[in-house]
Parts: sequence; structure tokens; C-alpha cells
Amino acid sequence: MAGGYLVPLALIAIVLGCAAVAGVLRRLVRISFLLTLPIGISVVLVSALTRPGETVLLVLGPFDVTLEGIDFAGQTLVRLFAISTAIGLFTLATDPRAFVFDLERRGLSPRFAFVAAATIEAVPAMAARASVIAAAQRSRGLDTEGSLRARLRGVLPIVGPVLLSSLAEVEERSLALEVRGFGRPGRRRLLWWPPDRPVERLARWLLVVALAGLVVVRLLGAWPPIP
Amino acid sequence: MTATAAGLSATAPAIELEGLVHVYPEGTRALAGVSLRVTAGEAVAIVGQNGSGKSTLVRHLNGLLRPTQGVVRVGGRDTAGVRVARLAALVGLAFQDPDRQIFAGRVRAEVAFGPRNLGVRGAALDGAVADALAAVGLGEAADANPYDLGYSRRKLLAIASVLAMRTPIVILDEPTTGQDLRGVALVREIVAGLVAERRTVLAVSHDMRFVAETFGRVVVMREGRIVFDGTPAQVFAAAAWPVLASTWLEPPLAARVGARLGLGSTPTEAALVEALVAHG
Amino acid sequence: MLELRGATYRYAGYARPVLHEVDLALRDGEIVGLVGGTESGKSTICLVASGLAPLSIGGELRGEVRIDGEPTAGLAVHELAQRVVIGFQNPATQRSGIAATVFEEVALGPMNLGLPVVETLARARRALATLRIEHLADRDPARLSGGQGQLVAIASLLAMGARHVLLDEPTAQLDPEGSNLVGAALRDLAATGAALLVAEQRTDLLDGLCDRVVVVDGGRIVLDGPAAATLEDPRLEDWGVEPPSRVRLARALAARRLPGLAELGWPA
Repeated sequence: MAGGYLVPLALIAIVLGCAAVAGVLRRLVRISFLLTLPIGISVVLVSALTRPGETVLLVLGPFDVTLEGIDFAGQTLVRLFAISTAIGLFTLATDPRAFVFDLERRGLSPRFAFVAAATIEAVPAMAARASVIAAAQRSRGLDTEGSLRARLRGVLPIVGPVLLSSLAEVEERSLALEVRGFGRPGRRRLLWWPPDRPVERLARWLLVVALAGLVVVRLLGAWPPIP
Repeated sequence: MTATAAGLSATAPAIELEGLVHVYPEGTRALAGVSLRVTAGEAVAIVGQNGSGKSTLVRHLNGLLRPTQGVVRVGGRDTAGVRVARLAALVGLAFQDPDRQIFAGRVRAEVAFGPRNLGVRGAALDGAVADALAAVGLGEAADANPYDLGYSRRKLLAIASVLAMRTPIVILDEPTTGQDLRGVALVREIVAGLVAERRTVLAVSHDMRFVAETFGRVVVMREGRIVFDGTPAQVFAAAAWPVLASTWLEPPLAARVGARLGLGSTPTEAALVEALVAHG
Repeated sequence: MLELRGATYRYAGYARPVLHEVDLALRDGEIVGLVGGTESGKSTICLVASGLAPLSIGGELRGEVRIDGEPTAGLAVHELAQRVVIGFQNPATQRSGIAATVFEEVALGPMNLGLPVVETLARARRALATLRIEHLADRDPARLSGGQGQLVAIASLLAMGARHVLLDEPTAQLDPEGSNLVGAALRDLAATGAALLVAEQRTDLLDGLCDRVVVVDGGRIVLDGPAAATLEDPRLEDWGVEPPSRVRLARALAARRLPGLAELGWPA
């Protein structure tokens, strides 16, 4: 039983350690909780209440809460955290520009690279725009501090201009980009891409080997599955 | 709507700021202690470079921003604790970029949004909308789609949206940028019309000529403080130029010519002409 | 030289053309000012002259655009961009959003053209030097003032190597400091021998900068001549254009039979 927790917890410890080194530990913890808890809570509740087992701990109405159910819930939750912290670390610790340029130098089309990087920029730009729009609408009497109904009614006057002005801007933005050659087919000679160090290359190979190994071991049944 | 009907005290100043300090969350000290008093019916221009604090200042007047220190009073009453939606009945603020507020498919509906939020309905609403559109010269475009209008007319639409709310205090943020000749003339007429109705008008502007010709009082800001407060004749007089230069603002041509010719302060063309005629 | 010959242009989805039989010539080393009221067709002329209308935005163009005698129809956008570039009002929409520094931003254009690294670097450096913004090279493009942002946008266009530069109201959204920065930059630009077309509401900016001024009204060219004479034309206000301050002042003085500015000793 305890074995089912060991590996995910070890993984989480490794990821958090890397995060500490990268200086993103607090943000990672916050993001992982935000990502995992919604799913986590429902999974835990469902498993704990309905999973069949032998050792009944307490009875809640029609539900038997068993030890096995709680154990399953726990193991699942810990695995969810292992996944979310790993994904979170990747997004937080990677510089999107470095990532995109690296992909491009390995063959990704520059247009694709541009779209990926520009998308990352789009979110903060939209958020800033939304706050200006909200200020303008509030100045015209839109109540965003009142009842829930009032706040719901306020969605269109804010979302509308965000979308409309973003769209109106898109045409000018894309013209400006075309004038600077972003639509040109063919490769380009990058000025800069992140250097690839021997350590990183080794790490990548090790990860690939480990992944292949895990798959093989699982297929051969040599690792206990979750009960 | 008269000042008292709107809930403004008849005797207190329309706007009063005391020791207003505002520090943004990231630490920028946008206002470093501003005190200002505007009486009802005054037309005041607030000028200064980007970053001088002028936009921050006007956003305190309708509660969008709250003071870090100091007091903001509108019509004699402290704005602390009063919601923005409530203050909107007293203070109308027209933003610089019309595309950051237009959301309706018809001009008429766009203008009706403000007064509707204030509870105006039926014939009173139609009247407010019609008057506001007429004031900005968009009377015939009432059924048009706002995005079919050019930028200049969309700016006028944004101003109409605030005029329709019939607030005793009206604030215009950069009303003339992006406007052509006719647009600027319309804005000037709008300000004159508001003053004639004894409403208080504030405008934030870069356009020194527009300011000199339209407003009776000019407040100059730099780095979060008021550095000059007076009539256009005072602000654009030669003695004040070093202060203006420190804010990157240039006095209108008429003022510079008048000073060079030793005619005293001539902030507008009309003043320069009169001074020359008087000089003989 | 860039020429529009009999250009009549209708936007996609609109019933009527916005430009009618426009003839316009922009010669090497010339600075031409383009003035007109809002919705007069200034921006459309810039878009048509840049080739983006109809190539990128659709619509219907009758008449011709020629660069150095060759029609531009049939060129791809990136080929066109090496002959003529266009700048817009808003510095923020002209930022790519994927450059960490101003230098990278300016270098993106030549990089996109697939030029060798050495050439890309040289062009970026030259563009920054022309506009005297080398000191901004390491700054974050998203954290510049409006005027600085606009200079970076113009430098990014210069790096494309085009000899015809069209600017559609470059100072419209800038504060006085920004407008001054851009005004000075336009002089530096003109000194390189590029052909420059500047559409503007602020005639004060064009006064003293341009060789020629063209007035647009209702989609037609109504006046095209030497800058000084055109900006002093009494019909400017009828066309929705504010004359430069010195012209207005001169008229106000003349109306009262007062001596003119020059006679009064301005500028000394």
C-alpha cells in the first residue's frame, strides 16, 4: 500500500527541488494547487465514498467509506499532483522565446514559432485591455461591485469591447507583421538560439531511456499496479 | 440636472482634493500630495507630460482609484466608501480611446447605456440620447454601427455617451487627439455648452492651443505634483516658460510671438491681435 | 520612385470606392506631406501605395502602382516590403511581441527575409544609428514611451531596406515629447535619401519638413504642390485641414491690417 505513494512523492520532491533551484517554487505550488484541486476534490470524494473494500471506516447514508477507498483516493491525488507539478515546472521555468527559437532551429516552421510565441504574449495584453474597458464602463455606471446579478449583466459591456477592439487591432497588427516579412515562406537564419550543453543532451537521453524502460517494465508486469 | 438635484451641495466646491497621494501596487508614486479646489461651473484644463499624474488624478474623481493618503470630495462629500457606479451619477468621465468602451451595435444604444445605468427610462432616456447626439453632431448617425464611423467620430460618440448622463461634473480625457479641424471645433463648442449650463468641466489635454482658447484655468502637473495653477495668460506668460519647459510643454505660437514682441502675455491669437492693435 | 496612376480603390464589402483616380508620385529623397480631414482617404492612399491594399486586405483596385517603373501587382508581400514599407499610428500594434530587446525587434525584419546573420546585424545597427536610438538597443520594447516605441517601429521598417517609407499619422497617439522625437527622426530619415510620405493632421509638424504637400478630400487629390504654398492655401480649412500655426496667425494679423509676422521681426 505504501509503495503506491513512494514513487509519486519522490517525483514531486524532485520537481519541487528543481523548482527551488529555478526560483519558481512558490508560484509552482500555487499553480499546482489551482490546477489539481478542482479535479482532485471530485476524484477523492468519488473514490472515498464509492470504492468497494473490506474495511469500512464509517457509514454516510448510502455510502460506505472504506479504508481501501481512501487509500485509492490518496494515491490518485498524489499522482495528480505529480503530473501537475511537472507540467507547471515546465511552463514556469521555460522562457517561451528560447523554447520557440530552439524548436525553429530544429526544423519547426518560423510561422508556427511566431504564432506560439505571440500567443503567449496575447494573454497579458488582453488582461490589460480588459481592465481599461472595465474602468470605462464603470465610469458609465456599470456596477461591478454590487449583486451577482448586476455583475453578470456587466459581462457583455466588458467582454464585447475586449473582443471587438482585439479584432479591430488584429488587422492592423497583421499588416504590420506582413510588412516585416513574417509571412515569407522558407527558412530564416536565426540570430540566436539557446545553447545546447552536453549536460542537457545527456539528461535528455537519460530521460528517453528511462521512459522506454518504464514502458517495458510495465508491459512485462514487473511493477505492481494500483490495487 | 442642477447641482443640487444631483445631490451636490450648492455651496461646497464641486471638487476638492486635499493632500492626495496615490501609490500604485508596483510602487510607482503617481501622485505626491495634490491639493486642488474647483468651484461649480468652472472649466479647468489639466496639462502635463505622460507620467505627470494627470490621468491618475482624474480617476480619483469618480472612484476608479482610491487615495493612498488624502481626501477626495465631490460636491462636498467624501468619496471614500461610495461605489463607482454611484459616483457616476455625479462625475462623467470620457476616456481617451473610444474603442475601449464601445460595445453596442448601434450608436443610439451605445449612448443610452450610461443614462440607462443611472435609471433613466422612456421619454427622458430618448431625450437625453437625442440631445447628446445633437451636441456632438451625430444626430443623423443614430442608427449607424459605431465601427462604421471613423475614429474621430467614434471619439465624439464616446463623449456623447457621457454627456447623455447629464452629470454635474464632466471630465474629458484627451478629447482632441486624433480629431480633425471640425472635431476640435465641436469639442470646443461642447465645453462652451457645458459651461453655459453651469456644469463643471475638466479636460486632460496635450493640446496647448486648444487649452489656451477653451479654458479659463490651467493646472500644470509634473511628477505627481501641481507646479502651476492659473489662467492661460498667467500659465503661458514668459515668466512661466521655465516651468513649462520642464514639463516638455510648449506655449502656443501666439504666446511666444507676443512675448518676443514685448506685448505681455498673449496666450491666444485673439489676445495677440488685440495687444498689437492696442500697441498701435 | 513610387507612383500611383489613376488609383481607384474600393474596400472589400463596401459598395463604393474610397479613392477616385488618384495620381501621386513620390521621388527618391523627397519628403511629401499628405493632409486631409478624417475619412478623406489619407490612410487608404498609404495602404494602396504600400501594396497592402488589395494584396493583403482585399478589395478592388483599378489603376496602377509602380515602383521604379515596374508595376507592383504580382509581387509577394515580402518582396513588396523590400521596396516600400508602411508605418501606423499605434506603436503597440507594430511590436512583434516576440523580441526581448529593441535590437532583436529591429533585427526581426531582415531575419525574416532569410538574410545571412552578418547582414541582419548590419542592417539593425544601421537602422538604430539612423534614428539615433542606439541607446535603446538593450531595452524591453514593451516598456518604452509612446514616442520611443514609434521610433523603434520606424527603425524596424528601415531595416527591411525599402527606399520608400510611408507613415500614416505617426504622431497621432503621442504626447508632445513623443511628437518631437518623431519629428526629429523624420529629418534624420529624410537625410538618408529615402522617399518619405507622411500623412498627418498636425500641419505644424509638416511645415518646414516637407518639400511637397498633397491635400486629399473625398478620396481625390485636390491640391499637390510645394509645401509652403500649399499649406498657405486659403481653402485648407474647407477641406477639413488645420493650417499651421504661423499661417493662421498671419491670417489673423492680416484680417486686422496689422503688419505680418516677418515685418514684426518673427522669427528674429
